[in-house]
Amino acid sequence: MLNLVDRLASLCKKIIPWGGERSSISFNDLFVRFHQILEENNTAMELIAEMEDKLGGQYVFDKKFLEDMVSEIERVILRSAYNFNFITNNKELEIYSVIESLARKLQQELAGKLVIPSGQNVLALGDIQEVMEEAVGNKAYNLFKIDTLPQASVPSSFVVTIGGFRKYLAFNNLYDKIDNLMQEYRKNGLSVESVSNNIRLMILNGDIPSDLRHEILKAAEKICPKNPESSFYSVRSSGVGEDGMMSYAGLHDSFLNVPFREVLSSYKKVLAGMYNSASLEYRIQRQVPFTDMGMAVLYQQMVPSQVAGVAYTVDPNSPDEQVCLLGANWGLGKVVVEGGASDMFRMSRNPPYEILESRIGEKKWMVVSFENEESAKVDEEKRNMPCLDAKQAALIVETALMIERYFKRPLDIEWSIDTEGCVQILQARPLGIARGGQPRSQELKEILKHRKALMRDKGIIAYRGVGSGPVCLVDDKKSLENFPSGAVLVARFGIPLLARAIPRASAVITDIGSPTGHMATVAREFRIPTIVDTGSATEVLQNGQEVTVDAERNVVYEGRVNELLHHQLLERPLFETLYEFQILRRLLRRIAPLTLIDPDGPNFTARGCQTFHDVIRFIHEKSIQALLQIAEAPSTLLAHGGKRLKAKVPLNLILIDIGGGLDENIGKGGWVVPDQITSLPMKALWSGMGSDDAWSTDPIVADFKGLMSGVTRTQTATVAGQVLTGLNVAVLGANYMNLTLRVGYHFTVVDARMGLELEKNSIFFRFVGGATDISRRSRRAALLMSILEKIGFKVEGSGDLVIARVTNSNIDQIEDHLYLIGRLIGFVRQLDIFMTDDTTVDLYFEKFMEANNINATGDHKMKRSNSDGK
Amino acid sequence: MANKSTICILDDEPIVGDRLKPELEEDGYEVEIFTDSASAIQRIEEKCFDIFITDLKMEGVDGMGFLEKVKENCPGSAVIMITGYATIESARESFIRGAYDFIAKPFRLDEIRSAVKKAQKRVKRQ
Repeated sequence: MLNLVDRLASLCKKIIPWGGERSSISFNDLFVRFHQILEENNTAMELIAEMEDKLGGQYVFDKKFLEDMVSEIERVILRSAYNFNFITNNKELEIYSVIESLARKLQQELAGKLVIPSGQNVLALGDIQEVMEEAVGNKAYNLFKIDTLPQASVPSSFVVTIGGFRKYLAFNNLYDKIDNLMQEYRKNGLSVESVSNNIRLMILNGDIPSDLRHEILKAAEKICPKNPESSFYSVRSSGVGEDGMMSYAGLHDSFLNVPFREVLSSYKKVLAGMYNSASLEYRIQRQVPFTDMGMAVLYQQMVPSQVAGVAYTVDPNSPDEQVCLLGANWGLGKVVVEGGASDMFRMSRNPPYEILESRIGEKKWMVVSFENEESAKVDEEKRNMPCLDAKQAALIVETALMIERYFKRPLDIEWSIDTEGCVQILQARPLGIARGGQPRSQELKEILKHRKALMRDKGIIAYRGVGSGPVCLVDDKKSLENFPSGAVLVARFGIPLLARAIPRASAVITDIGSPTGHMATVAREFRIPTIVDTGSATEVLQNGQEVTVDAERNVVYEGRVNELLHHQLLERPLFETLYEFQILRRLLRRIAPLTLIDPDGPNFTARGCQTFHDVIRFIHEKSIQALLQIAEAPSTLLAHGGKRLKAKVPLNLILIDIGGGLDENIGKGGWVVPDQITSLPMKALWSGMGSDDAWSTDPIVADFKGLMSGVTRTQTATVAGQVLTGLNVAVLGANYMNLTLRVGYHFTVVDARMGLELEKNSIFFRFVGGATDISRRSRRAALLMSILEKIGFKVEGSGDLVIARVTNSNIDQIEDHLYLIGRLIGFVRQLDIFMTDDTTVDLYFEKFMEANNINATGDHKMKRSNSDGK
Repeated sequence: MANKSTICILDDEPIVGDRLKPELEEDGYEVEIFTDSASAIQRIEEKCFDIFITDLKMEGVDGMGFLEKVKENCPGSAVIMITGYATIESARESFIRGAYDFIAKPFRLDEIRSAVKKAQKRVKRQ
C-alpha cells in the first residue's frame, strides 16, 4: 500500500517527468495552476471561517458536521498542494507529509484522544500555547489564560507537562505495574485504599529521569532568578479535567512553601497524590479511563505579600444578590484559606465596586515567612484595622469579575497584593454553586418586557452571552488605550485595532463588521458577547450610558438588568462546556491561527507550518516566488507575454495577466497603459499609486524624474541580508493582484483579492528595508504601522519590517484600502532619510492623514484627481 | 400556562436536543428529547406531541421511517426534518411523505425557533 506522499508523487510524475526539464510547459499552464491554487486556498479559508463562526454559539451543529468540515478542508488543501507541486516542479513534496501529520492530529482530536506534543516536558507559563490544554492540565491552562487577560498578573510559573508524567511512568516501568494492580482490584476485590497505597508507594520510590530532573531544576531557577536556593515554590497538581469540566477540586495534593531543595521530591509527591483513594474512587465512579490518566504539575514562585486572601465572585449563601465576598489578612494568604481570624468584605458586583459591609476581625497573627510558616504577631495598631482599603478591595473585585467574565461561572479565586501593590492571581477555580440549567423563567421574561429596549434585532450575533456596563464609544487609539474594564465597547467598524480593548469589555457592538472577521475571532477567543453589523449602534447608544447587551436574543436594554445577568451566570447552561464545542475549539486551534507570518522568517518552511492556515499561506507565498523565479529576468517575462506599464511614474513595472487582469484588446505590443488594466484590485491600487501627487509630496524636493529613475532602475540591493534582483512585477487576475516592488532599496509586496464576495476579499502588505540606518528605517516602519492600523489593518512587525493584513471587507472598503496603500507606497518611499528623530513619526502621520482626508475614525474620502488611471 | 404546545426532538447526536431544549422551553414549549428512534416511537404510542423535530439519518428506524410512524399515530402533528445531508432529493421526499418543514444542519437557533413558531400556528389552526 503506497502512502499518500508516494501516491501523489507518482501522480505528479505522470505530468512532469521526474526532475526533468519543464520546457514543454507553457507559462499559461503555470498561471492556470496558480489560479487554481488561489481558488482552492480561498475555499479552504471560507471553510475555516464557517467553522469559526460556529464557535459563537448561534448555531446548532453536531459531530458529523465537524468531521465533514475537517475532511473537506483537508481535501481542498491537498488539491492546492498538488497544484503547488506542479508549479514548483515537485520541489515541495514535503508539504504532503506536513498536511498528513496535521490531518492525523485532527482525526485524533475528533476521536477525543489527548494529543500531547512530544518533547515538551517542562514549559514556562508564557510558553504554553492554545493547543496545549490537555498537556498542561486545567489549572495551569486556566492560569495561562488569566495571564493573557489585561490587568491580571500571575506569579512566575512553570509546568511539568503530562509528557513529563508519562516519561516518569515509563522510566520506572510503572505502566504495567499500575495496570496489574487495577486488574487485581477488579478481579479480586482489593480495597481501594490498598490499591491507592501500593501505587503511591511505587511512585514515591521511583526515580526522575536525569534529563527531566535537569529541566525541572533549570526551570525552577529561571522563575526565581535572584536567589533560587533560598526561594520558595507552591507545587500544585494540574490534572486534565481538574478545575475544568469535571471538578476534582481539592482531591489532589498541593504543597505550599516548598524550598528549592524539595522541588524534585515534591514532584513525586504530587504525582502520587493523583492516586489517593478519594481520587481513585472518584475516577472509578465516573469511569474516567485509567489508561488516559495524566497529571501535569504546576510550580509557582511564592510571592511575598502585604495582604492576601480569597475572593468569591458570588456569595454562595445568597447567590441572588449582586454581591462578591472577600476574605483577607495581613501577610500570606494561609490564615484566610485555613479559616483563621481575618477581615470579611461584602462587595457590590457593580461598578464602582463599593464595600457594602465589612467585618473586621482581630488579626493577632499573620504568616510572614515561607521558611517555617512562622507566624508573627501583628502590630497592635494594625490588629483591628481593615487590611484592605476601599480602593484595593475594588481593584480585587474588578479583576475577579473580569476573570469570571471569561470563565462565565462563579469563581473561587486566591489572590495576593504583592509588596509593590499589584494584585496577583494565584489560583482560580469554579465555585461550587449548582447550576440549574434553567431556561429564562416567565418572571424574567415579564421583567424584560417592561425594560426599555434601545435596539432590537439589529445586526448579527457573533458571540452569544449577556454583558452589561457603561457604553464606551471607541473611535481612536486613545479611547482604546483608556478603555475602562467592564464597559460595553461600541465602535463604527469591527477593525482589528479593537482587539486590544476587547478582553476588557463586557460586550462588543459595532455598526459595521462581519461575524467572520478578525475582530469577531478575538471576541470569541475571549468569550465576549458580541453583536456586529448593527448599522447604527454608535448613533443610538450614548457614551457613558449604562446598558445590558443580550447577545442571545439580540436586544440592547437601557440600564443594568440584574435579573438577566444573574440568570446568565448561575442558571444558564454553558454552551462552551459542551463536548462538541470543546472539540471545535481544539480543532480550530490546529486549523485557524496563522503563525507563519513573515515569508523571510527562518521558520517559513513546510516543516514550520503548524496549522492548516499556515499551509495555505506557505503554498500561496511559495507559488508566487516560484512563478517569479521561473521568470528570472524581465526579458523572459516579456517573451512569455508580460507587458510593460507605460505611466507617468516610471516604475519599470511588468504586468503578467493570469486571466482577466488586462483588457482583452491590448494586441501584441509590449506596452500597456493604466486604462487597459482590468484587474479590480490593481486598478484600485493604481488609482492611488499612479496619481503624481502621491509621489511628489514634501519629502521629495529634488527633481522628480531624476530621483525616480535613480531609484527605480533595475539594481541589486541588499535588504535585510538578502540579495534582491531588481524586478517590479505585478501578477494580475480579474479579482486578484500580486505586486512585488523593489524601489529605493526597500522591498514591497501587495497581494490582494477584491470582488463582490466579502469573505474572499483580502489584502496582504509587506514592507521592508531602506537605504538609511536601522533607526531611521524603523521610524518609517513605525509610521507605516500607525497609519495602516488607523485605517483598519491588522499590523505586525519589528525593526524595519511591516506586515499588514485585512480580511473580510466589502468591495468598497478593499478599494479604499488599496487606494490608500498606493498613496502610502509613494508617500514613504524615501521618507526614512528625513526621519531623523522620533517626533517625525507623529509629524508625517498627521501629514498623511491630512493629505488623504482621513478622519478620526479612520474613514476617508477618496481623492483621486491626477491619477493616470482616470 | 395550562396548555403549552409540546415538542418531541429526536436526534442521535445528543448535542442537538441539549441545545434545543432550553431554547424552546424559553419560548414556552414543553420539550422532550430522544436520542434513539426506538424509544421515541415507544413514547408516541403513549402520547402525541404537537410538533416533532427529527433527524433524517439515524441508526435503526431513520427519520423517514419515524415520519411515517408519526403520520400514523399523530396525523395532526407537524414534523420538521433536520439533517446534515441536505439535498433537494431528501427534502422533496420528506415533503411528499408529509413533513411540514425541512432545515439543514448546521442551523441557527433563530431559524429553528421561527420554524417551530410557524408549525405551532398551523397545528393550532387545525
